[in-house]
Amino acid sequence: MWKLGVDIGGTFTDLVMVDEETGELSVTKYPTTTQDPSKGFTNGIDMLFQHKGIDFEDISQIVHASTLATNTLLERKKEGDTAILTTKGFRDVLEIQRQRRYDLYDLSIQKPRPVVPRQYIKEIDERVCFDGFILKELNEVGVKASVNELLKNGVRSICVSLLHSHINPVHEKRIKDIIEEISPDVMISLSSEIAPHIGEYERTNTTAINAYIMPQVKIYLENLITGLAKKGFSRTIHIMKSNGGITTVDEMIRFPVYMIEAGPAAGALMASFYGNLIGEKDLVSFDMGGTTAKLALIEEGRPKVTNQFEADKIKLKPGSGLPLIIPALDLIEIGAGGGSIASLQMGVIAVGPESAGAEPGPACYGMGGHQPTVTDANLVLGYMNPDYFLGGRMTLDVDAAHRSIEKKIAEPLGLDVTRAAWGIHDMVNKNMAAATRIVSIERGRDPRKLPLVVFGGAGPLHGSRIARELGISRVFIPAAAGVTSAIGLHVAGLSFDFNAPHISLLGQEILKTVNRLFSQMEAKGRAMLKEAKTTGESFFLKTADMRYAGQGHQINVPLPDGNFRKDDLEQIERTFNKLYYDIFGYRDDEQSIEVVNWRLTAYSPPTKVKLNKYSNAGGRSDDAIKGTRQVFFPEIEGFLECNVYDRYKLPQGFVIQGPAVVEEKESTTLILPKDRGHVDEYCNLMIETLA
Amino acid sequence: MSKVDPITLGVVWGGLRSIAEEMGAALKKTAYSLAVREAEDFSVGLFDDTGRLIAQGDFSPGHLGSMPFVVKHVISEYPPEEMNPGDVIILNDSYLGSGHYPDCFCVAPIFHKNKLVAFAVNCAHHVDVGGGAPGSQAVENVNDVFQEGIRILPVKLVKCGEIQKDILKLIIGNVRVPDIVKGDLMAQANANRMGEKRLSSLIETYGLSVIKKCMDQIISRSEEAIRAAIEKIPDGSYTFTDYFDDSGRDTPPIKVHVTATVNGSDIIIDFSGSSPQTRSALNSVLNYTYAYCFFAVKCLTDPYIPQNEGCVRPIKVVAPEGSFFNPRFPTAVGGRAIVNQRLFEAVMGALSQAIPDKVITAASHWANPNFGGFNPRTGKQFVCYEIVVGGFGARSDRDGCEAMVSAFNISNIPVEVLETNYPLRIERFEIVRDSAGSGQFRGGCAIRRDVRVLEDHIQFSNLTDRHLYPPFGLFEGKPGSTGITILNPGPDEQVLHSKGCYELKSGDLVSQTLAGAGGYGDPLKRDIEAVRLDVTGEYISVEAAREKYGVVVDPATKEVDITETLNHRNRKSEPIRS
Repeated sequence: MWKLGVDIGGTFTDLVMVDEETGELSVTKYPTTTQDPSKGFTNGIDMLFQHKGIDFEDISQIVHASTLATNTLLERKKEGDTAILTTKGFRDVLEIQRQRRYDLYDLSIQKPRPVVPRQYIKEIDERVCFDGFILKELNEVGVKASVNELLKNGVRSICVSLLHSHINPVHEKRIKDIIEEISPDVMISLSSEIAPHIGEYERTNTTAINAYIMPQVKIYLENLITGLAKKGFSRTIHIMKSNGGITTVDEMIRFPVYMIEAGPAAGALMASFYGNLIGEKDLVSFDMGGTTAKLALIEEGRPKVTNQFEADKIKLKPGSGLPLIIPALDLIEIGAGGGSIASLQMGVIAVGPESAGAEPGPACYGMGGHQPTVTDANLVLGYMNPDYFLGGRMTLDVDAAHRSIEKKIAEPLGLDVTRAAWGIHDMVNKNMAAATRIVSIERGRDPRKLPLVVFGGAGPLHGSRIARELGISRVFIPAAAGVTSAIGLHVAGLSFDFNAPHISLLGQEILKTVNRLFSQMEAKGRAMLKEAKTTGESFFLKTADMRYAGQGHQINVPLPDGNFRKDDLEQIERTFNKLYYDIFGYRDDEQSIEVVNWRLTAYSPPTKVKLNKYSNAGGRSDDAIKGTRQVFFPEIEGFLECNVYDRYKLPQGFVIQGPAVVEEKESTTLILPKDRGHVDEYCNLMIETLA
Repeated sequence: MSKVDPITLGVVWGGLRSIAEEMGAALKKTAYSLAVREAEDFSVGLFDDTGRLIAQGDFSPGHLGSMPFVVKHVISEYPPEEMNPGDVIILNDSYLGSGHYPDCFCVAPIFHKNKLVAFAVNCAHHVDVGGGAPGSQAVENVNDVFQEGIRILPVKLVKCGEIQKDILKLIIGNVRVPDIVKGDLMAQANANRMGEKRLSSLIETYGLSVIKKCMDQIISRSEEAIRAAIEKIPDGSYTFTDYFDDSGRDTPPIKVHVTATVNGSDIIIDFSGSSPQTRSALNSVLNYTYAYCFFAVKCLTDPYIPQNEGCVRPIKVVAPEGSFFNPRFPTAVGGRAIVNQRLFEAVMGALSQAIPDKVITAASHWANPNFGGFNPRTGKQFVCYEIVVGGFGARSDRDGCEAMVSAFNISNIPVEVLETNYPLRIERFEIVRDSAGSGQFRGGCAIRRDVRVLEDHIQFSNLTDRHLYPPFGLFEGKPGSTGITILNPGPDEQVLHSKGCYELKSGDLVSQTLAGAGGYGDPLKRDIEAVRLDVTGEYISVEAAREKYGVVVDPATKEVDITETLNHRNRKSEPIRS
């Protein structure tokens, strides 16, 4: 039996199959059919089946990741479908937001546009206090009148977000009952279920987005299931979530906001998979594509999860987007990719976040782009082969790259073109190194001890320089680094997240309550895992959001297993103090500790994936040399003749002495002078850098 | 002196800026007060050993503009030989740079090989520093700085890494919320430590001489860039006049009179002709006046030049001693927070004559009232520092944003967080219909925020303006509505003064309605579809659409009657003959 993974991205639909017995992988790519993504899905499957000589009978399970939720949010074409019911006096929570300018000096600033316009937001007469006390009973007549009016205007999906509902959801639940009595077909999102956290703007926004994308996601997933059933597949389908776990279709239809940005999560999971392969449980995952670079910290074999996430940012500026309180992989995205445009700002080189994209693309694509990009710089420096771009499917115009850098950067700065190109390459590396430093240091890790796992089309050209910048001594570049992120789909386990907001000081008085909260969450998790037909073992990971009493920001602290006893408290306190010190550089042992939230993740790991061993164990290294070319290195202030290797012909166990270039279809690896690249039995490269 | 190559310069410059950003992130995450951790009322910067600003995080412009004054005073007080690694010097004196006592500045010297090379500096707004009213920002009946709370002249809060417990005791013994003030001070000291560590490693990598050369070049290049931008403003003298309502009950309006003179790449902003200093705590010390003039000029020239000493060199600010914009010690200044927006708007008004496309109209005037008293939930005193912010000014090509700060930059405190922390309940927080100044591009709307007091003996000091003089529009755009503060709206309601201090009892409701932002351009030229959308979104009424914009909208269907609209607009635009 095979497990099939399908990742529908913006440009390509990746399909990865794994044989459940042998772990054998089979990969294919198909252009995404934007009009009807399910078409690319089925076309790809047909291709893969034909190639392997199998059919749906042989598929035990499908795991699917899709950009549909993200796209629906970004496109904003569905206004009028969705409405909000909220507490009287608070109709404008979504528009008022947090009121701060994300750009201090720019007077042309615009705020993120709420997903639900003001006329679709109705106030309900009711009031719950901060401690859950009901100050004013729900006006049910008012609810009915508002719902009827909204339905008359064509609303299909309703978000209910009342003040303090994360403490006492009783009014939200009653409103749900009333809506269901009026019309069972209306889709309902309750803020106390979607994002039970303090902070009315962030909670309402998360729930409103859930309601906004729900109709699209529901239709899509239901069609997908029907379509597959028609072809004879009625076994399990699981969907990828933003937190790197997978879940059932039913759960995803109720909580579609958990699907936003699930695609990039697969990449980080893939990095953790390779980490496992090489025996590294802690690492930095670095994915550099055409427009952005994404960084994530992997700890104990799993990417870090955060509960704050911002969608639809303007030029990736923090604070410019729509905040979501959902469990999501802690990915840092910066505007640094192959297509990032270089310009001069006050006489120094700046790179990104603007990107030339795929069209017109870098100047060297010859498709009308005249702005110099990172790719143009890499071409001028000899890092890329103009005749072997995308495996030779496209020829790059070196002269065009040269001209664009000369005109926009070199001449105004009085530098020669090579130095200017190096300036671009160096600046984008510095930007990425700074971001990596923030990822790791803010999270209390010293990046120097961690290996850097590099992938994405542009990653392998920049990985070693970034590593040197950070003092990282090992850079790992998986085989086919440009395309394998869909492997992440098979690394994802079933996971369900629960949380119980309960603010109290850490002390033995709360043990009973906490144990009760956890056993309730665990029971729910067990039931959901069972429903999702998990085959593997079940795990329950407990954490808590903690702070020094009186502070406003929490850190998430792992908790010991099992029922808590008095002795555990000391250990929890120690873990918190240590973690706090690691992150902020100081601790306050005298201050009492407050817990805000207790969390539980019910988790069931997937079947193990095994990579195909590489067949070229006995090959000769000379055969792998495609030729030589002139490559620029600042260490010698000039070009050096370097060997160019064919990645597909590298023999196992071979050590490439830098400087050297390794070419494969989707990417090029640059091995710096004095660095050494080791080829392992899967044709992965481990580079020891001179850090 | 040889120059640093442009590539190294770019890298070091980026490094210095990211240090400032990281200091800000650390301060926010470890602070205790809602003012710092939720409202983000703080700032951070890096200075060289001579006190020149090199890099800053993009936080509150008032603090950032005042920081150079603070650092210069610290340097003159403590010569390098009296400073040691691990020291943190604190001050909050208004006239030495802070502008008002709640803003406490922490300055940490940074050493390299036993030589002083730089300073890490941050400032946080503390919710209370003692004085006559909770929040230390009362305006009425406060006649000198000694009534405003504890005054801290530059002292070492931390010596060689050791907190000076005596100093700390002295400070927190004089404030209403000692735990919170202590927590925030510790967070401030810690943020500086982070800046010190990161700058030291940057110096390790590139060497001190390269870093110093980079600092010089950062400053000179920024100065060149800002000068080039000022050059584009037509030369001339541009005058503008506006008024504050008053400085307390039964006081006269305060005249804001500004002349902006542009001469080549220099600009002089002169407040001569403005009112004299007041006998209340509403005055703007000179460094604060400076800060917001710098800010306004930066917005109008090149918003994306990273802020440093070079950006302010071409700008000169003049205010006669003893005037509202340059009071003499010991004149009280605690209420100065609401002056920031007016400084900014005065510069906008003046320069609208020179660069009409770049300026914005007057925004909804913000309110910064304080509530304080006993909180039975904690058994301690509380101070709630409220932030009420309305619409942004209209631009030459777009409306003003709804509910966004103008001039300074802080966040609101979430209603749920506020109610969990204080014996107060927010009963309404909403956009006010028909409050925006009309124009081809309209201003942002006013905001109304109602606060119910849940305990007796609550001190309330109001702090806002534009109850009498509305925010101005530009180029035929109309002013916004005026604001009002009402106690217990209803038949027995009482209008409260914009700067009054009151004692409230349990059950009282303070309803704060701000002014609406001014409009830009002729309202009759506003796009008809934009007017229709304003009606459907209930930002304006059907009546206002007709009266202010000449657009006739059917009240039932919300459809525009085009023929009627065109007729109506024609009639309205005909000159009125007397």
